[in-house]
Amino acid sequence: MTNDVTTTVEVDLDMIAEQVWSAFLNGGEEETIFAAPDTGAPVDLAASVAMVGAYEGHLVVSCSHKASRDVASVLFAMEPDEVTTDDVGDALGELANVLGGNVKSVLPSPSQLSLPRVSATGHERWPGTVEVCRTVVRWRDEPYVVTLLSGGPSNNAQGV
Amino acid sequence: MKILVADDSRVMRQIVIRTLRQAGFEDHDIVEAPDGAAAQTSVNEEKPDLVLSDWNMPNMSGIELLHALRAAGNTVPFAFVTSECSDEMIAKAEAGGALFLISKPFTAETFRDKLSDILG
Repeated sequence: MTNDVTTTVEVDLDMIAEQVWSAFLNGGEEETIFAAPDTGAPVDLAASVAMVGAYEGHLVVSCSHKASRDVASVLFAMEPDEVTTDDVGDALGELANVLGGNVKSVLPSPSQLSLPRVSATGHERWPGTVEVCRTVVRWRDEPYVVTLLSGGPSNNAQGV
Repeated sequence: MKILVADDSRVMRQIVIRTLRQAGFEDHDIVEAPDGAAAQTSVNEEKPDLVLSDWNMPNMSGIELLHALRAAGNTVPFAFVTSECSDEMIAKAEAGGALFLISKPFTAETFRDKLSDILG
């Protein structure tokens, strides 16, 4: 199934991101800026979940290696230099999963959420999709780009 | 009491356990399972007093786990901790015999509100 192009999708990504950062990442105002300017800074990793069913698309979180270590460090309650690659994948994937689950709840239903996947942004492709909306969270001076994509076959995130 | 925390994300299991402590439930024994199938085995072996389960997991989902437990006659108190909380999922959970859903992201206050009656 593909999305009806006439369907207007209204998702408040800023509000969802704020809820997630506030609950899990101690997103105090002093270190977090929501709806931050998108400076187009290069990102290294993308964590995504796919939505399949009445809504077809992906929720993607992209950030730098340093930012991903910061997330893992806080979620695992460890020092940044102690986190492993597996820790980073788990933490960033779960961040995408929580954001995706909350986004899915305001999209047409029923649909199912995939398990998260994390890979280098240079290897991720979502052919046949269009960007519905995006927001940038600036946390600890690092940008996290949260993007909702629409369309494409359900398994079209082609990692290498 | 013994609490089984089932989630395929290791970090989310840690967050749930940390939040249980922050909510004042630090004196309970915790066992962990990384998917629904492992949780089913753990329920049979560890005999927990409460299961806190993710919904979307590999091998066996949370709702499949709940159905399997109830089909086997196991009535362990069961609640979901999930990033998805649609009306459809709430209805499925309740029909399957779950107590309630806690949506991610959650806080210690949410845990206190939902779990105080069970954990004391």
